[in-house]
Amino acid sequence: MSSGKYAQSPEWADIDPIPLDDGNGDGIIPLATIAYPPSYTEATSYLRAVMAVNEMSDRALKLTEDIIRINPAHYTVWLYRAKIIKELDKKLTDEIDWLNRVSGENLKNYQIWHHRQIIVSRLRDSLTEESDFLTEERDFLMDIFARDSKNYHVWIYRHWLVRHFNLWEDERETLDVETLIDRDVHNNSAWNHRYVLRFSPRDGPEAGMPENSGPGLKRGQLAVVDEYIVDAELEYAEDKIRLAPENRSPWHYARGVLRAAKLPLSKWKRFASKFIIEEIDDADNIIKVHVKSSLALELLADVYAEEAQAKGAEAERDKTVNDDAEEAQAEGAEAGRDKTVNDNAEAQAGAEAERDKTVNDAVRMLTLLKEEYDPIRKNYWDYKMRLVTRLSSLSTAA
Amino acid sequence: MSTGESREPKMFTGASRKCVKNPSLFTELPPISDPLSSETETSKIQRETANSCLPFLRGDDDGGPIGPLTSWGVPRLQKAQHLEYLYDSLEDYPTHFVGIDSSRPWMVYWALAGLSLLGEDITAYRQRVISTFAPMQNPTGGFGGGHGQFSHCASSFAATLCLAMVGGTDAFKLIDRKAMWRWLGDLKLSNGGFQVCTGGEGISGEEDVRGAYCAMTIISLLDLPIDLPPEAEARRHGLRMFSSGLPEYLSRCQTFEGGISGSPGTEAHGAYAFCALACLCILGRPEDTIKNYMDVPLLLSWLSARQYSPEGGLSGRTNKLVDGCYSHWVGGCWPLLQSALNGAQAASASVSPSVASLYSREGLARYILGCCQGPNGGLRDKPGKSPDSYHTCYTLCGLSVLQNYHYHTDSSPSLGGIFSSAFSWHYSPILTPSDFEPDENVFDEDDRVTAFHPVYTIPHRAAENMRAWCEHEKIAI
Ligand SMILES: [Zn+2]
Repeated sequence: MSSGKYAQSPEWADIDPIPLDDGNGDGIIPLATIAYPPSYTEATSYLRAVMAVNEMSDRALKLTEDIIRINPAHYTVWLYRAKIIKELDKKLTDEIDWLNRVSGENLKNYQIWHHRQIIVSRLRDSLTEESDFLTEERDFLMDIFARDSKNYHVWIYRHWLVRHFNLWEDERETLDVETLIDRDVHNNSAWNHRYVLRFSPRDGPEAGMPENSGPGLKRGQLAVVDEYIVDAELEYAEDKIRLAPENRSPWHYARGVLRAAKLPLSKWKRFASKFIIEEIDDADNIIKVHVKSSLALELLADVYAEEAQAKGAEAERDKTVNDDAEEAQAEGAEAGRDKTVNDNAEAQAGAEAERDKTVNDAVRMLTLLKEEYDPIRKNYWDYKMRLVTRLSSLSTAA
Repeated sequence: MSTGESREPKMFTGASRKCVKNPSLFTELPPISDPLSSETETSKIQRETANSCLPFLRGDDDGGPIGPLTSWGVPRLQKAQHLEYLYDSLEDYPTHFVGIDSSRPWMVYWALAGLSLLGEDITAYRQRVISTFAPMQNPTGGFGGGHGQFSHCASSFAATLCLAMVGGTDAFKLIDRKAMWRWLGDLKLSNGGFQVCTGGEGISGEEDVRGAYCAMTIISLLDLPIDLPPEAEARRHGLRMFSSGLPEYLSRCQTFEGGISGSPGTEAHGAYAFCALACLCILGRPEDTIKNYMDVPLLLSWLSARQYSPEGGLSGRTNKLVDGCYSHWVGGCWPLLQSALNGAQAASASVSPSVASLYSREGLARYILGCCQGPNGGLRDKPGKSPDSYHTCYTLCGLSVLQNYHYHTDSSPSLGGIFSSAFSWHYSPILTPSDFEPDENVFDEDDRVTAFHPVYTIPHRAAENMRAWCEHEKIAI
C-alpha cells in the first residue's frame, strides 16, 4: 500500500488509511471476494478513513472522483460526494458539467442519475428567469435517449424533473415525447411519460395512477377531464395504431385515456372493429375472420364483456321489478298488474337475450385469441371466458 | 445467431434427439406482425430475439440443445454444470470485477439461493457467510455492500436471507436487530414508502418499491417491532408504524397499464411488480391486501401480456424483450396473484384451487430449459448472452415457481404474529396430467428444483426457522 498514489502524496500524509476488511481472518475464507486493483484498494482505504471522521474537503472530493472512475456502482461514494458538495457549497453547475462528461460512459449506472437529482434539486433556488438550465437539461437527456431510449433510471429522473420544476404544461416535454415516439412508436417508456404528462395528478408530492380523486370514482378515473385533451389523445393513439396495429403501447395508452375520462371501452368499438374483418356467407354465417391486430380482439373482448355486464344488470333490474309485481299479484292485487308483469317479463327476456348475445361475442373474440392469435396466453383467455360466461349463466340459473 | 455457443456433444444420444412434441406455438413466429414499413428498433430486436430462440426451442442442431431432450422435446436441466458454476461464483473474482464491489451481498445470495434450489445443503457455508457479512454490518444498523459502505436496503436484505439460509444461532446472532430497527426507521418516508439508503444530513438515497419490500422482509423475518423508532423522521409527519401509508403508496405505483412501477408515476416494470406484490403479501392476506390495493383485472392483463411466443419466456415491460430473470420477477407474481384470487386454503385440504395457473407453465419451462442454459453451466438472460449468477438464481427461481402450486392457508398459525399470513404459505408439486392444471409438465421429473417461499425467495424452512428463533429471542427496546 505504501507505494500507492495516496501513500506518497504529502497532501494525504496526515491520514491513516483504514485497510479493507473483507472477512478474511481466523483462517476463514470469505465469499465472493475480488482481486481488487491496487489503486482501488488504496483509494477505498483512504475513503474509509476520511468518512470515519466525516471530512468535508476538496481532497476528499477528488478522492470520490477517483473511486467513481474505477467503480461507478459504489453508491456510498456518490452519497458522500453529494454531502461534500453541499457542505463546501460547491458550484452546482460545475458538478453538472462533470456529470455530463461521465454519464455517457456509464449508461447503465443508476447512482449517477440519483446523484444528478440531488444536485439539481438544490439548483432550483439559484435559477434565474433567463436561465437556460431546463433547456440544456432536456437537450442532454435527449442525447442520452438517443443512445438508450428506454433507460428506466433516466426516465425516473425525467419524471422527477417534470414534477420538481412543474413542467406539466411545458411544450418541450410533449415535443420530446413525440420525437421519441416518432423515432420508435414501440417505445413504451415514452408513452408512459406522455400519459403522466396528460393524466397524472399534479398536486402533492407525487402521484401514480390517480386514486381517491373524488367520491364514487374508481382507480385511474379523474374527477375533471378536459374533453378536448381526451379526444386529441385518443386520436393520437389511433394514428399510431394505424402505423403498427400490433403495437401494444398505444392500445394500453388509449385504455388508460378512456379510464381517466370515465368513458366506456365501447367508445373504441368501431375503431377496434376495423382490424377484424369477418367474411359472411348468404346465410349470415361467418366463414372467415381476418385479424390485423390481436390487441383489437383483446379490446373487443373487453368491450363485449362490459356490454354483457350492463345488459345483465338491466335484466336483473327488470327481473326484480317483475318479481315484485308477481309478488304483488300473488298477494291479490288488482288484475291491472298483469300487464306490468308481462311487459317486464318481455323486457327481462329481451335484455337477457342481448346479454347472452354479447357474451357469445366476447367468447368468440377470446376464442380467436386463444386458438389463433395469442395462444401463449391460452390459460388467461380461458379464465376470462369463464368470467364472461358466468354473466349469462347467473340469472338464467336463478 | 449466437455462433459462439458450443455444444456438449459428449452428452448426445442419437435416440433422444427426436423431438416428440414441439408445438408450432414454440417453433414459429406469431401469426400477426406489423408491416416492415413500420419497423422500429424495438420491433427489429424483438424479431431478432424470437428468431434466435427458435433453434433452441425446436431442438435443432444449429441451436444446439445441451444433451438429450425430454419426450416433450425440451432439454434436461444441466444440474452438474450449474452447480459447478454456482460453487465457483462464491470464490474469488478477477480484477475486472471491481464493479461488483458493492454487490458482494447479492453475489453471495444468488449463489446460495441457486445452490439451494438445486438441492444442495449449504449449511457448510455458515462460517464463511458469517465472516463475509460481519464486516459489512454498521454499528448504526444494517449492512452495506462492503466494509465501510453505508447500510443499504438491498445489502441488508441479501445478508438477512443468506443468514437465514445457512441458519443456526451463530448466523442469526450476527444481526444487531435493535440497530437494524433504528436504521430502518431512518428509511421510512412521509409518503408511506421507503428510501433504499441514507447518506445522513439531508442526503437521501433513491425512493422505490424495492426499499419497501426489502424493509418489510427484514422486519417480518427478524420480528422487529412494527412501530417506528421514536427518533424516526417519518413520525414527525404523523406516521407511527413501518406499515403506515405503505399499502396506499404501493397502490399509487400501479400504472394505467396495470403493472407496477418503481415509484408513483414511472413505467410499469416486472421487478417492481414482484416487490410490491410480495410486500403486500407480508402486510396481510393476499385476498385482502392485493385485492384492496390493486386493480386486479388490470394487473392480470398486464402480467399475462408479459409472456411472448414463440419464446415462451417473460418480459419485464411492454414492448421489451424476454429475459430469463423475469422468470422470477414476473413469474413469481403469479402464485401471489393466484393466491389472492383463490383466498386462503385449508392446510389439510386436497389440492384443487378454483383458479389454476393463468400463464403458460409449458412456455416458461421451454424458455428456461431450452434458451437460458449456458453451454458451460450457469443460466442466462437469453441466447447469445453470457450466464451470470443473478440470471442463474432467478431463472432457477422461475423453474421452481412453475413446478409447484403455492397457496396460503388459514390454519391457526403459530408463527409470524401480525405477519402470520406471510408464514402460512404451503406448496405441493404440480403433477400432470392434473385435474386442474391445464399445462403438461414438459420437464423431466428428475429436474425438479427446491420449492422456495413465494414471498421471501428462500426455502420455507429457512424463513420459518429464522422467524421462530427471533420470536424466541425477543429484543428489548
Ligand atoms: Zn435479466
